[in-house]
Amino acid sequence: MKGVHGRLLEIDLTQGTTRELSIPEEHFRRYLGGRGLGARLLYDMLPAQTDPLSPDNLLIFLTGPLTGSMATGSSKFVVVTKSPATHAWCDAYSSGRISVQLKKVGYDGMVILGRANHPCYLRIDEQGVDIRDAGHLWGKDSFATEATLREAENDPALGVSSIGPAGENLVKIACINSDLYRQAGRGGVGAVMGSKRLKAIVITGEHDAPLHDRRKVFGLNKANYQRALVSPVAQARMKYGTPLTLNITNAGGILPTKNFQFSTWEKALEKIDSVGVHRSVKKNVSCLSCFIHCGLITEAAEGKYKGATVEGPEYETLGLFGSNLLIDSLPTIIQANVLCDMLGLDTISAGNVIGFLMECCERGLVSPADADGLDVRFGDEEGALAAIEMMAHRRGLGDILAEGVRAAAEHIDGGSDRFAMQVKGLEFPAYDPRGAFGSGLSYAVSPRGACHRRAWPPAKEILGNYPPYTAEGKAEMVRELYDLNGILHSLLVCDMPGKFIPLSMDDYAQYLHAVTGESFSMGDFAQIAGRTETLIRLFNVRDGFGRKDDTLPYRTLFEPLPDGPGKGQCVGEDNLARMLDEYYACRGWDSNGVPTAATLGKYDLAADATAG
Amino acid sequence: MRVYVNTFGADIKLRQEVVLAPASSGLRDVLGALREHYRAPLERFLNEDLSPRDGAAVLVNGRNILSLDQCATTVHEGDELTFTVMVAGG
Repeated sequence: MKGVHGRLLEIDLTQGTTRELSIPEEHFRRYLGGRGLGARLLYDMLPAQTDPLSPDNLLIFLTGPLTGSMATGSSKFVVVTKSPATHAWCDAYSSGRISVQLKKVGYDGMVILGRANHPCYLRIDEQGVDIRDAGHLWGKDSFATEATLREAENDPALGVSSIGPAGENLVKIACINSDLYRQAGRGGVGAVMGSKRLKAIVITGEHDAPLHDRRKVFGLNKANYQRALVSPVAQARMKYGTPLTLNITNAGGILPTKNFQFSTWEKALEKIDSVGVHRSVKKNVSCLSCFIHCGLITEAAEGKYKGATVEGPEYETLGLFGSNLLIDSLPTIIQANVLCDMLGLDTISAGNVIGFLMECCERGLVSPADADGLDVRFGDEEGALAAIEMMAHRRGLGDILAEGVRAAAEHIDGGSDRFAMQVKGLEFPAYDPRGAFGSGLSYAVSPRGACHRRAWPPAKEILGNYPPYTAEGKAEMVRELYDLNGILHSLLVCDMPGKFIPLSMDDYAQYLHAVTGESFSMGDFAQIAGRTETLIRLFNVRDGFGRKDDTLPYRTLFEPLPDGPGKGQCVGEDNLARMLDEYYACRGWDSNGVPTAATLGKYDLAADATAG
Repeated sequence: MRVYVNTFGADIKLRQEVVLAPASSGLRDVLGALREHYRAPLERFLNEDLSPRDGAAVLVNGRNILSLDQCATTVHEGDELTFTVMVAGG
């Protein structure tokens, strides 16, 4: 098969050794790459009950078959590991030059295991892997780390991924940074990297993977670019980026506000929405290998943080650091985004945890004496920024918050678990499921915890024809969305261009054929998506997860929305139970969410269940 | 009838107050009257028959008309009408 190398690079940091692992071509037919291949590898290579922060855990970086091909949106990579936040499967996605460079040095991915006996970084080129001392980098923030490594190489195409102090300090909401502003954010992948004493990875390669038909790839890009030019959706996205989503979630009543107590916030409008952000945009940018420039470089135009610059803030950051904290100052949100990127924190989880802290303070569950004198109330901009630093450095109460919102609620107690907005230990992204019940199901069944990447139900419940406040029809809707994104995340293409050019799965099959020379039907894609989801479910089941974990916080289930289009709505136990029953049924899983023998047979996974 | 109009597309306009005199409070009549005021901005969201274009959605008070009574949805004084392209993700 063209487009892939059929090789993985394994790096054992304990032994200081490397070796090549071959990937059977059959794996690409059965899993494509990226998420699917990661499921196969993690299930096969990681024993059950492995401590996520032990040397035994695996940190797997994977590309996809389209990586390095110049197919639009194909500079993504995925980090697959066992999450220290959830103790479950974790896949965290990012753009970055490292994906293309990894392919250029001749590998489809790398598996990192063990723990170095001192801080190190990896330098990888076509001659091999050099495990280098990172004593001069340890303690530096991600921006400084990347700048130091780039300066040493003087190569603008260099792939660099690194962790900040949060990852070094094993903060369970720590991310991995690439190209300054791109993060593999979710699930604490940065803490896994930190636990291996691995500060950074630098990759430089020279040779593209051979493609089946490079001219056809360029031809598809050209045709799809023409489609984008006349697509109103693409035009809006290229102008406003993801902040446009805030206007929709506010109108639709799913915007997290005051730690998910409310679902709309008028004060956000023209300040931290598409209109407000657009005023601060300095330029639009695109990821490598993408002709859709939906990234925004913004600069704080006024106030204390004037001059602070970031690629972003994306919608999730605006939602979690803006409305969720009742902060309507864009410069403050930009500064929060910069701090998180530098220190290596996931902005989604960080904003969520700080919202939880603010509610605890307002309810008197946390006093200033508990929080190093900090009395962080909703709208407290300085307090929010201080909390970011406390978490990243595990200072004072920050040491508790650094464990994530579920663990923080267990520590603080006092009923705070009722408003700790998480599933399986992963914090909610910026959509309130009470205003779109399918989002609740999507969060509940996501193998990595509350997640907006597996599926994006607002496309159906706010912008489509699915009534939002009912369980009816949501299981099949969520399954379809999961399977669609499952294929995109296995091809490892950004799911955005496909949605607003728009591109169909048939379009992606054409890209895949042009790159690999292999034909994949829609039936093949369905089989791959179902197999992958079932194998990931098996991974979690093997570690003790089941229906009891596919749940939602008390607030989502039982507290009716006080405002917005969904005023009076909450998901409710009965609706969740019905959605779970129906979702498991359409996946071919039993009533506890365990794949049935027939389903395992359908996906040729029977041997895995036996082995597990 | 006074309504508030949002348009989310290549240009964004928020809560524009519009006073209309539709033949009825049904959405079809309201949209017909609204189009007299905003023909150009609404063209990118509505077909000639006033149904939403592919890639566009019409919300009444945050609810998609496709999950309400579509063009028969009743519009009330002070309601908010949102015309949007299909945003995706965050």
